[in-house]
Amino acid sequence: MFKSAASVEKLANRLARLPGIGRKTANRLAFHILKLSQEEAYELSDIIREVKDKVGFCSICFNISESDPCQICASPSRQKSIICVVEETSDAAAIDKVEGFNGLFHILGGRLSPLDGIGPDDLKTRELLDRINSDVTEIIIATNPNVEGEATAIYLSRLLKPLGVKVTRIARGLPVGSDLEYADSVTLGRAIDGRQEF
Amino acid sequence: MHISSLTVTNFRNITTQRFEFLRGINILFGDNGSGKTNLLEAIFVLLLGRSHRGASDNYMVRSECDVYRIEGEIITDNKSIEVAVAYQRSERKKITIDKVTSRIQELYEIFCVVSAGPEDSAILSGAPSTRRGFVDIYLSQISRKYLDDLSNYQKVLSQKNAALKNEMDPGPFNALLVTYGCRIMSNRITFLDEVASLTREFYREISGGGNLNLTYQPSIGGLEEDRSPEGLQQRFERRLSDSRHREQVMHTSLVGPHRDDIHFEIEGLPARQHASQGEWRTGAIALKLAVYQILKEKRESEPILLLDEIFAELDEKRIHGLIDAFGGFGQLFLTTAVEPPSRMKENSRRFQIAGGAVEGIA
Ligand SMILES: [Zn+2]
Repeated sequence: MFKSAASVEKLANRLARLPGIGRKTANRLAFHILKLSQEEAYELSDIIREVKDKVGFCSICFNISESDPCQICASPSRQKSIICVVEETSDAAAIDKVEGFNGLFHILGGRLSPLDGIGPDDLKTRELLDRINSDVTEIIIATNPNVEGEATAIYLSRLLKPLGVKVTRIARGLPVGSDLEYADSVTLGRAIDGRQEF
Repeated sequence: MHISSLTVTNFRNITTQRFEFLRGINILFGDNGSGKTNLLEAIFVLLLGRSHRGASDNYMVRSECDVYRIEGEIITDNKSIEVAVAYQRSERKKITIDKVTSRIQELYEIFCVVSAGPEDSAILSGAPSTRRGFVDIYLSQISRKYLDDLSNYQKVLSQKNAALKNEMDPGPFNALLVTYGCRIMSNRITFLDEVASLTREFYREISGGGNLNLTYQPSIGGLEEDRSPEGLQQRFERRLSDSRHREQVMHTSLVGPHRDDIHFEIEGLPARQHASQGEWRTGAIALKLAVYQILKEKRESEPILLLDEIFAELDEKRIHGLIDAFGGFGQLFLTTAVEPPSRMKENSRRFQIAGGAVEGIA
């Protein structure tokens, strides 16, 4: 009884180290796992193994992938002249769903945040520079529109512009399908600031 | 806009107390330490999510309690809004508007409040941070964009300071500091121009011919030369590059709106060093009158007015001048330990406060 409680606690401690999981949630998850059938629990641990064994990072764009290079980098139908720079894999996935974008990605693996000890060397910036050649005509910087994302965008544009490549930043504005009337003032303000000429 | 009811729980010396307020004048009558000022503070916290005298939340929770809670019903534009501000020690403050969890910024968009009290003397006599705090709290009630710029500026500043401490390149953060900082300074210029001219008039009126001047002093200097957005940007950038080395050595940001100040002069002399306590108080009241006037005009409605012991040091004539100056106020909360002037008793409700509780209502 006490022995098993100790190993449940060990599991909870380990889960609590995952990002976004607090103490309470970790305990709840640990007890949930304890209540799973043996089959279900083993399946979960097998999936974790499989992910670690099979999935890695693309050595070109640093997207997660089961092959190297990844499907996007290897695809002949992709537009190789445009690289869209994002903070995380999930951002690339979101942009890839957008019709009209058919370029390549570069995943930085984070954003500048000295408060968290993250500087340029902790991001895949040098690897981005290595990818710039005469075939690349445009770099779209699609970091998040918050303070850290903006700082990262500024850093990258200063790094890239001397190389003679066109650097663009995604516009921030109203979500499509939203009513002007119901937009909050911050979004609306940004939409006005980021207006473009017809 | 007015508060129709308020319930305060475990706040300062108030255990739990419910109030029904009048749309007109609410007089909170009681001795020093009775808790009447705490009540004003609770109202300010309810409306803007923070103390009017800069107290921290931990400090405002009743001793030996864990949570304070302030709930109120506020009538604005003939609509009733339910607001609750709750704070649990070492947790984040929780704000709900009509039972929906909300950000503190939303309070600024809905409500409007001006307070005046003894702590205001420090605007003239105290540290620059007190003066910046004064500007920020009232300018934020006029411009939501200012409040957002301010909050972004703070984030950039802490990232830049962390970069300086970790010996990283603060360059990208400097660029953002300039973007947000210039907007903050432009807003402060316009606001303080208006505040200065109104304050001068009110001060002359209340003091019987006295002379008060205030001027905005941005840390980047040179306002007399060029106050255009382009001018501000160029000077800010220049000052940042001039102080780059010093910032790296000292590991902290040395220029920008977080170092701004306001210079007060009374009868041509710097008020901080040369004015009397009476002059500071009169100056502070004139300042708050000016702010009240500006907010009323910009928000197109009367701000809720909180007056803490402002009659204590003024004679009858000045009190009447003051009432005239605030003329046409909406809802007023007034604390006093002495009989309030008779003109204040019309359309009023009087709460007798002692030991953080209401002893009687008249
Ligand atoms: Zn790839």
